[in-house]
Amino acid sequence: MIQASHVSHFYGAEQVLFDLSFEIKSGEFLFLSGESGSGKSTLLSILSTLLKPSSGELLIDGESVEKIKNIDYFRQSKVGFVFQFHYLINYLSVYENIALAALEDKKQNIEKILEELGILELSSRYPNEISGGQRQRVALARALVNEPKIIFADEPTGSLDSKNSQIVYGLLAQAVKRGTTVVVASHDMQIENYATQIIRLKDGQIL
Amino acid sequence: MISLKALSKNSFKTLLIFSSITIAVMAIFLISSVSQGVIGMYSKMINTDGDIIVTQKGISDTFFSNVDIALIQKIDALPHVSSSYAMIVGASPIGHIPIAGIYGTTANHFPHYKLAEGVYPKEGEVILGENLAKQFVVKEINIGNKKFTISGVYSSEIGFEEGGVVMNIRDAGKLFNRSASFLLVSSSSPSEIDAIVGKISELSSEVEVKTTQTFVKEYNQFKIIENSSLVISTLAFAMGLMGIASVMSMIVNSRKEEFGIMRALGKSRLFIIKNLFFETLIMSISAYIFALLLSLGILAMLPHIEMLQGYVNGTLSLSTALYVFASTIFMALLGSLIPAWIASKTDPILLINQGCA
Ligand SMILES: Nc1ncnc2c1ncn2[C@@H]1O[C@H](COP(=O)(O)OP(=O)(O)O)[C@@H](O)[C@H]1O
Ligand SMILES: [Mg+2]
Repeated sequence: MIQASHVSHFYGAEQVLFDLSFEIKSGEFLFLSGESGSGKSTLLSILSTLLKPSSGELLIDGESVEKIKNIDYFRQSKVGFVFQFHYLINYLSVYENIALAALEDKKQNIEKILEELGILELSSRYPNEISGGQRQRVALARALVNEPKIIFADEPTGSLDSKNSQIVYGLLAQAVKRGTTVVVASHDMQIENYATQIIRLKDGQIL
Repeated sequence: MISLKALSKNSFKTLLIFSSITIAVMAIFLISSVSQGVIGMYSKMINTDGDIIVTQKGISDTFFSNVDIALIQKIDALPHVSSSYAMIVGASPIGHIPIAGIYGTTANHFPHYKLAEGVYPKEGEVILGENLAKQFVVKEINIGNKKFTISGVYSSEIGFEEGGVVMNIRDAGKLFNRSASFLLVSSSSPSEIDAIVGKISELSSEVEVKTTQTFVKEYNQFKIIENSSLVISTLAFAMGLMGIASVMSMIVNSRKEEFGIMRALGKSRLFIIKNLFFETLIMSISAYIFALLLSLGILAMLPHIEMLQGYVNGTLSLSTALYVFASTIFMALLGSLIPAWIASKTDPILLINQGCA
């Protein structure tokens, strides 16, 4: 469903990704592994359309990302994101944060998802009034609300203890079971137990 | 509404912007109002009591002007002249007050100063303006090197007259070494005023004759006050506006992370701009109204502050208020929307990372 061909990226003069080509198939749980600084976040950002690569092309369902007419609608409806830091909006409640991301016809899903993730009772709290693990679950709920075809997660457990990490991995694995494609970038090798495919990066190259 | 939530939850930032707008707007209001007020009072004093003013030729300041009072008889004899009076305007220490205005005038002009108590002054007597009277409980005061008896207290619509002293023009003449500073002439037929101006000019080569309207328009002191206040208030306002714009853009910069998240969630640039537009509008309009009310309150209090003795007065014109309103809103929007528009063009992930830094 996603094809990267000859993707390279520079930050200023520093090249951090070197001519990467690979394919992510629908329904996969892809694990992007590698040490810190190897380029995982950069690659994940490119794959999820949040960053334009310096060169190379990204095809989604055979179509070049450059040609997507309404990138905003594409991001909102087809893609879900979970970041290392939850990135919730601080002045919106848990419910409002999810509602902000939700498409009109998906708003009815919000409560159900909150319930599934065990955070329904936090609906009216603000991000600074809940724990780190709870925040990450809210971020996951936000990524799931529009039932996207693919979810990208960058170090989703980076700020969580191992118990909370297991919960997040379990929830991602469930999404995969329902047919969602999941791409996780992490240096935490625990994910190997859940992943269906692994790409190992080192210094911006695939090993 | 999301703009209101953003404003109320980020109360520190909101307060910062709110107060910067309030201060900028108040600065311009107070500076321009006070200078307009001073000019307004002085021109009212001259305008209301005559159609024509006679001053010494080549002396643009009424304080330094010196005119022969004998001219009055000749002027009164001219056709269409209904009345005329002479005045000496000066300033001097009065008792323990370091400086106050002295108005020496011919008796026919006394009714301009409404008696609050006592009687109009005879030779060697003075009446005190209400503001000044509050500072004296005695019967006699020293002005210059002379002793005067207080015969009454007067009130006036013109603030700074209430901080002064009114006496007979002969007494004032002894204090200031002249028979008159200027003469004011009234006519009952407005169409004849220009002709009268011409005739008075022919009476003496040492005077300058103008309609009071022209005089007020050309009066140097007014021009100086007007121009300098224009410069000061324009500078204050420009600095205020730049302050508003820079606070706005600072705050937009500190919210790059938030905008990046919104872009990543698929919110359009327009969505971000629209919300920021309403936030800015709500804030700048309410700060403007707050500043306006505060300024009007201060201006209303000014004449009652004893220390100022009524010398400082302020009037806020509608055109100033509207002009300041428009430019405040414009700069606030400019300062917030332009950086936000530029920022929202950046790749979302870079925006998020910049926000963290
Ligand atoms: N916004 C940026 N500007 C400049 N350099 C960056 C930026 N983001 C990442 N880098 C650099 O790119 C390299 C790869 O970083 P990153 O993709 O974050 O790797 P990882 O996620 O594997 O730790 C690192 O050397 C990092 O310092
Ligand atoms: Mg990373």
